[in-house]
Amino acid sequence: METSKKLPTDPSESPPSPAGDGAADPERLVQGNLSFHDITEMVSRHAEKKAPLAWYVAFGVSLSGALLLIGLLAYVVWNGIGVWGNNQPVGWGWPIVNFVFWVGIGHAGTLISAILYLFRQHWRTAINRAAEAMTIFAVICALIWPTFHVGRVWAIYWTLPIPNQMAMWPQFKSPLLWDVFAVSSYFIVSTLFWYVGLVPDLATLRDRAKNFWRQRILAFFSLGWTGSNRHWRNYEKAYLLLAGLATPLVLSVHSVVSFDFAVSVIPGWHTTIFPPYFVAGAIFSGFAMVVTLMVITREIYGLKNLITIDHLEKMNIIILLTGSIVGFAYITEFFMAWYSGVEYEQYAFINRAFGPYAWAYWIMMTCNLITPQLFWSKRLRRSIPVMFALSIVVNIGMWFERFVITITSLHRDFLPSSWGYFTATWVDIGTFVGSFGLFFTLFLLFLRFVPMVAMAEVKGVMPEADPHHYDPEGNGHAEGDGEPYIAPAEPALAEAYRNDETDAPE
Amino acid sequence: MPDSINRSSLLKWLVDPVQSTSGVAKRAYRFVGDRRAWLVPMALGVALLAISLLGLWESPDDFFFAYLVGWSFLLTTALGGLFFLVFNHLTRAHWSVVVNRINEALVWAFPLLLLLGLPLLFGMHDLYHWTHAGLYDPGSPQYDEILAGKRAYLNTPFWLVRIGVYFAVWTLISYRLYTLSLRQDVRADPEIPAALRSTSAWGLPLLAVTTAFASYDILMSTDPHWFSTIFGVYFFSGGALGAVATITLVSLLLQRTGGLLQGVITPEHYHDLGKYLFGFVIFWAYIAFSQYMLYWYGGIPEETVWFQHRLQGGWAWHSAALVVFHFLIPFLMLLPQATKRAGTVMAVLSVWLLGMHWFDLHWVVLPVLRESGGFHWLDFTCWLGLTGIFAGGLMYRLSRHPLVPQGHPSLHDSLQFENMQ
Repeated sequence: METSKKLPTDPSESPPSPAGDGAADPERLVQGNLSFHDITEMVSRHAEKKAPLAWYVAFGVSLSGALLLIGLLAYVVWNGIGVWGNNQPVGWGWPIVNFVFWVGIGHAGTLISAILYLFRQHWRTAINRAAEAMTIFAVICALIWPTFHVGRVWAIYWTLPIPNQMAMWPQFKSPLLWDVFAVSSYFIVSTLFWYVGLVPDLATLRDRAKNFWRQRILAFFSLGWTGSNRHWRNYEKAYLLLAGLATPLVLSVHSVVSFDFAVSVIPGWHTTIFPPYFVAGAIFSGFAMVVTLMVITREIYGLKNLITIDHLEKMNIIILLTGSIVGFAYITEFFMAWYSGVEYEQYAFINRAFGPYAWAYWIMMTCNLITPQLFWSKRLRRSIPVMFALSIVVNIGMWFERFVITITSLHRDFLPSSWGYFTATWVDIGTFVGSFGLFFTLFLLFLRFVPMVAMAEVKGVMPEADPHHYDPEGNGHAEGDGEPYIAPAEPALAEAYRNDETDAPE
Repeated sequence: MPDSINRSSLLKWLVDPVQSTSGVAKRAYRFVGDRRAWLVPMALGVALLAISLLGLWESPDDFFFAYLVGWSFLLTTALGGLFFLVFNHLTRAHWSVVVNRINEALVWAFPLLLLLGLPLLFGMHDLYHWTHAGLYDPGSPQYDEILAGKRAYLNTPFWLVRIGVYFAVWTLISYRLYTLSLRQDVRADPEIPAALRSTSAWGLPLLAVTTAFASYDILMSTDPHWFSTIFGVYFFSGGALGAVATITLVSLLLQRTGGLLQGVITPEHYHDLGKYLFGFVIFWAYIAFSQYMLYWYGGIPEETVWFQHRLQGGWAWHSAALVVFHFLIPFLMLLPQATKRAGTVMAVLSVWLLGMHWFDLHWVVLPVLRESGGFHWLDFTCWLGLTGIFAGGLMYRLSRHPLVPQGHPSLHDSLQFENMQ
């Protein structure tokens, strides 16, 4: 690539713009006076040029993590799941904790791409591609755990309702079976949604390709996209439909995950607030992960004009909101445990706060209930170092939330004779670390080969994309440009009563 | 032209805390109806409540329970409106500005609701089993160990204090949002949008906590042995639906009867209101089903008994009706784009959903009193009587102020708003 044009990468680097073109306007999503071409150039070049050395270093580290995961999973299958720290009262240990953790991470991607789309939040355009990719990779990391946590992984296809010679079917009353359907359809729909969004951008890369095979491969994946009016119309309809379908899906998937716990009769698990509370927690941790990744990505790839501090601030506000919902759910659970008058329920919560796992509980409370409240301060939620640290703290807290729910409820329940203690083994730790390796391996491949920002969508929210941009009072055609000038179509009433401020009071 | 707004006298404050600002209303936003708009519902409401008082004579139990359902219907709707308003301010929603004033008129309801709630205090003994003194006396045959354990929370003085605190919080938030917005109509102060947002920001967590605890105190404690952590969300979800239905209905009424707001609230805005109705129908069903399914699945006796009462006898029909008429039919009706943009359909659906919200609360509360199900004529007169007074207050407030927040900086965007088709 002989790209030599210096693109502005940081809002602070761009020269002060002449008054009136709106570059200093805080409402403006794309900073730095970028043109449509600049956006294409800024995003596509990373998928076209050679990756920087840092990428290879990061990829090497991540790949070793992924290989560690694969090796350890082989070790688990060969030796049996007893190499994990699970024991008799605590049958669900780290694998389920990690499963819920990773599924939760994935939910922010769908929230950004689908729910914010339904709410017409234009700021989502700069982050949705990376967030959706994050969803898909997080769901892959999540699917590992239910697959390998079973004692006999080779018989796992029995969970699928396939006609077979034994005439045996899965039990449709088990939320673990609902998990199979929920997470697999979630994976499929997320992937489709991501791919549909990618088609126009892959076509852009195809048209820029200079190499025969690169051009052929991108032509295959961009499905003959020409960007015609009819293409765009169908595309927008499909995107809206997928957003409308993905929204109930994402809420139901994490609700189903919460049912794994809530349908049981275990004190500390059996509570009705779990479905919405798990969903709020998923958004909370997922947004924190997006912030962590975006802070690094925009820095390294010079995307500060596309992913601005305003974007990050909005994500931090959502973290604050969902963190407060989660905190409120903690209080509700505690209050209702006391109010219920059920001694097991009361004990379960006393045990969380003061029992052998009190350390985990207080880490969870500090990270999820207290530290996100720092985002009430505008200065803190616009500070890159603070949000980076806090987003990591949130994910530590949310991992501990799942740990506390799963393990403290199991290790002491109805019969004191079956109380135990859970200690993680090196295999628990190794597989969990390895899952991060897999996640970052996939994420780095995404950064390398796929446009990391949805170029077509970002261009659509530029002020220049508005037909009225060049002529705010008219119909998009300046007088004298050859097109008939049509007077602005004001609503009749607004026009009629525009200047009646002087109307006499009644 | 006055520069600021003045407070009403004390009695009027209950209904509208500020004096009329209709003098500054631009002609397009001026209320041109007459006093009948608020006098008729008010008079009908008073008349129905007077008739209900005969029922108090005949059957105090039925009266108080019916009154509690009717009053909770209005309380949840006003709270839902307050949530919706706070949410729209915080997200800087532009589309909703043209209907914000209707919502603001809806949320200034808490002082009146507190006054209308006072009769319930005379029925505490009938409504709330935990007020019976014998439950807490170990020597009494009525002694109840479980309820004795909850006494620190469920006792009349503390209950009254809590209700007072909730109403103080709600009144404070709605007072700020209502008067700031009216002040903006009179004199556009650039500070006001930020003040509305900051009030919404600190108001939201307070509102969430008070709403949840109010649901435990007012409705859940009618069956003091039963508990559910999701109940606060359930209480909120019905109210949010009721609030959006009320906003839709009032804007359609204003347009159809007085010819007001023509070209201001357009099918584009009804389309969005319809989407919110659709969303809240699903949200309600999601919460209600989660609560039911988890208790059915666990089958723990002290929890399941609540649903058992509602699935046996005459109540089985009510439960089935909730599934079909509160979820399935509105869901299918609101799914297509065309119905959300058709005023008549939206009017019918709004009335329907308000009716279903009342029916839902009736289903929550009344099985405590009537094991075999069914309705009493008081259920309807109390509900409609209270609603008449409430609606009269709402229309009165609308008649005294500009019908849209005319000084709102995003009003122009809202007027021009179009959905993506």
